[in-house]
Amino acid sequence: MRISKWAILLIVYWLLLSGFIQPLLLSFGALSVAIVLIVIKRMDAVDTQQNLVRKDHQLMHYCIWLVGEIFKSSMQVTKLIWTSPEKVSPTVAKIDVKDMPESARVLYANSITLTPGTISVDLEDDQITVHALQHPSIEELEQEDMKNRVAQIWEKST
Amino acid sequence: MNFLDIISSLLLFAGTFFAFSGAVGLFRFPDFFTRVHAASLTDSIAAILMIAGLLLQTSFDLNTAKLIFILVFLLITSPTASHALAKSARHGGLLLFTEKPTKQGGTNQDD
Repeated sequence: MRISKWAILLIVYWLLLSGFIQPLLLSFGALSVAIVLIVIKRMDAVDTQQNLVRKDHQLMHYCIWLVGEIFKSSMQVTKLIWTSPEKVSPTVAKIDVKDMPESARVLYANSITLTPGTISVDLEDDQITVHALQHPSIEELEQEDMKNRVAQIWEKST
Repeated sequence: MNFLDIISSLLLFAGTFFAFSGAVGLFRFPDFFTRVHAASLTDSIAAILMIAGLLLQTSFDLNTAKLIFILVFLLITSPTASHALAKSARHGGLLLFTEKPTKQGGTNQDD
């Protein structure tokens, strides 16, 4: 089931990138897809991460919300650049991510960095070290709005 | 010039404005970490706006899909690069300009 999902995804990806419908190129595509599928199958043996189910509609919601957040914080940073760059109040803080699965942590840290005004500097010991351009951004992160939204995307498979 | 072209040029114009602001911020901000913030402005909002503007110029064919792929990969890789820069600077002992060095050097936090 999972393998066939990957097969469809990879075939669509190949077709979109190449766009040539010729026997030679299509057979190259089929060969590449087959090799990748064999590797995926074999890698299951060493995969020790817990199996999580991603809810794709939640992911879409999250992406749209994230673009809105990026826009808002970009406005703040741009305003700061053009008006008073000396007014920055850089802060380093640690955000707790103990209760999140690993893949969610990566998405969370990446979202923090993607939003202008905050960078995730380090991810270890169940904590993300965040550097913020202005102190209020840290308070915003501590309200855990973004964290809850990321956590909603995954759920444990039973 | 039709409606889509106008929207597209507005988006492209906004994108270049944010990219330019990011470049100006690189010079105006006081230290390394704050400059990374300015650079991330170019990574995120400018890339999104410019690719959105270019998407409206395509005729919704393979090029549209390729532009979307470019956007997706940019949004995954550019924060990774900023993170790598900030992490190595922090671990190398670079201080915020508000922090004072300890006697041994390095940060005055416990990491």
